[in-house]
Amino acid sequence: MAVRMGFVIITSRCIDCDACMVACRSENDVPLRHTRNWVKSSGVQGQFPKVREVFRPGNCMHCDHPPCVSVCPTGASQKRADGIVIIENSKCIGCKYCIVACPYDARFANPETGKADKCTLCLHRLVQGLKPACVQTCLGKSRQAGDLNDPESIVSKLIAKYPTRVLLEQVGTGPNIYYIDEAVPEIPEGK
Amino acid sequence: MELTWALMIVIYLFTAGLSAGAMITSNLAFLYGGKDFERVSRWGAYISPFPISFGLAVLLLDLGSPFNFYRLFLTLEVRSPMSYGSWAILLFTGLSIIYLYLWLPEKYQVIGHFKNSEQWKKWLSKFMPFLSVGVASYTGLLLNAAVSPLWKATLLPVLFLVSALSTGVASVILLSTISPWQRARHKELHVLTKVDAGLIILECLIILIMISMGRLSSMSESYAFGSLLYGQYAWIFWFLIVGLGLTIPLLLELMELKDKIPVKWALPVTISSSFLVLLGGFFVRYVITYAGQTSGWF
Ligand code: SF4
Ligand code: SF4
Repeated sequence: MAVRMGFVIITSRCIDCDACMVACRSENDVPLRHTRNWVKSSGVQGQFPKVREVFRPGNCMHCDHPPCVSVCPTGASQKRADGIVIIENSKCIGCKYCIVACPYDARFANPETGKADKCTLCLHRLVQGLKPACVQTCLGKSRQAGDLNDPESIVSKLIAKYPTRVLLEQVGTGPNIYYIDEAVPEIPEGK
Repeated sequence: MELTWALMIVIYLFTAGLSAGAMITSNLAFLYGGKDFERVSRWGAYISPFPISFGLAVLLLDLGSPFNFYRLFLTLEVRSPMSYGSWAILLFTGLSIIYLYLWLPEKYQVIGHFKNSEQWKKWLSKFMPFLSVGVASYTGLLLNAAVSPLWKATLLPVLFLVSALSTGVASVILLSTISPWQRARHKELHVLTKVDAGLIILECLIILIMISMGRLSSMSESYAFGSLLYGQYAWIFWFLIVGLGLTIPLLLELMELKDKIPVKWALPVTISSSFLVLLGGFFVRYVITYAGQTSGWF
């Protein structure tokens, strides 16, 4: 089966250390005041003394039906055969259409390049056999990335074992970050 | 909060519609009005190329990589409204300049006189309405494709089309009234005013249906339309669009049509009502562009 790259993010393991954001910034030279990934807080939930706060890391969902790709007037935004959504900078005119079209706010206008910018799933690391910088660095092992179609991958094993959810399913973008909210005591071995 | 698409895009959407509207006004006046409506056709032709050219220049300035813009014209991405829209606008602007040239008095036709220019005018007048409808509704399709809860509204292209026609007619009324040369006759203004009043009523209906449909859809969509009705854009929506942009010019135009305006007030009333229509049309684009970005899915 074709490769389908995506993420599994375990919210119960995220401690909001933001190391993923730092790692991404230094790996990909992301300019200050912009970020390719994030950690969002649920805010305080419940009533004292039973309160909790959940953290939800995120980034581009490398959607199955990415509106950012279909609106792009020059063909700069593309979905690769392995599912990764990329921007071919030389074709990008900086019209920002893709930025307004992404329902996850995953893109920004890079003031240094004049182009749209977002998570590349660290394509340059993948080809060297490395994991994306955010996954590599994640303290709680909350972030996992891999081939969703390969049953031997960590992401597939997690999805098989735990209930998952995706964000804004009703919009029809087919996002490829699967969230697990349950406690995951151990990360399975795998690719 | 800084918006990704701001005033520049609003100007682009507004001017493209305005040009398309003025073009259609001119074409139809020429085809169906002939000599009696010559001043309307002429002013429509004179207006049409300018707003859209200005809008394009502004859009270019808004690009992150303006020197890369030629990339737009190396490809046709059929799923991207901006791609086919840019081609349509390129064609429209080119043809509108030719059309304007044909309408110039002969002594100004400096690069030669077309032998059968009347025939050319006729052909263009038959073709341009289609292209203009395309350009005007494209501005709505552009937002449609960027699936925000507000922009998803199916009626958006229709709203922008009707608003484009209305602003186009208003711009012709405005210029052909204040110009000392080739000033529109009473009969011409009467018909234009009638058409514009009809368009305003239609626009009100579309806005009403669009908002009702939005309010009855998902929470996100309902909330997005709420930002127009009682949220942060309420004063623009109610005061600048519904009040100044639709109700007042409609009332003024109806009074004009019933000859209820004293002669000495006729000119200022015509000028202000057409100006208000333009103002309202601008803020329709403004509110939709802005509110579409400040309201997301949840
Ligand atoms: S998350 Fe946004 S930027 Fe990423 S693929 Fe989906 S629509 Fe495109
Ligand atoms: S900003 Fe670049 S990548 Fe995004 S839609 Fe425009 S040309 Fe395509």
